[in-house]
Amino acid sequence: MHLEIHFTAEAIVTPSCALPSKEIGALVEFHGIVREMEDNQALPGLFYEAYEPMARRVLERHLLELGTLHPCQAVHFIHRTGWVPVGEASLYICVMSAHRGEALRFLADSIDRLKLDVPIWKRTTRPPES
Amino acid sequence: MEITLLAFATSSDAFGFSSRVVSCSADDTPLTLVQRIAPQVNIASLRVALDCEFATWDTPIGAARELAFIPPVSGG
Repeated sequence: MHLEIHFTAEAIVTPSCALPSKEIGALVEFHGIVREMEDNQALPGLFYEAYEPMARRVLERHLLELGTLHPCQAVHFIHRTGWVPVGEASLYICVMSAHRGEALRFLADSIDRLKLDVPIWKRTTRPPES
Repeated sequence: MEITLLAFATSSDAFGFSSRVVSCSADDTPLTLVQRIAPQVNIASLRVALDCEFATWDTPIGAARELAFIPPVSGG
């Protein structure tokens, strides 16, 4: 499985997900967008912080394990850090597989794993130094 | 020896720093270090990682160069 994991402080630019083979029958994309309302409070955005070396390591382990459960050919994962205004994406995942079932299950499980123990955090306010 | 302590998200508020280098011995554990440098911090909701791998509060630091305090994650 081809796996790419990126963190970026800039707006996420959707990569051109070139098909790794002619056996790709499903390409599933997910954009996680920052919403305005959080706990009944209107927010201008969210601030994301990551312990990148560890996040990359933990995430890679999860995604490779998911690849054995739901065989896929390629996964692109991008998480934004820093301030993300409402309406912009904080997360982008693209999964390619031969069949839709594997790609859809991989995508759903990867987001669950992300929220399990991957060291990334969001705050509703900017830290003073940012 | 020295180790770099990293405090993320809400834990940086609790510890009062995001990065700090402290002296330690290989026999120290994350728990003994916190008891020494920041005994006021409530660690109940925190996990720890040594050199980017989750560890327990009782794990000897050994040759680790980095100790991170990991509050509940919220990525995505």
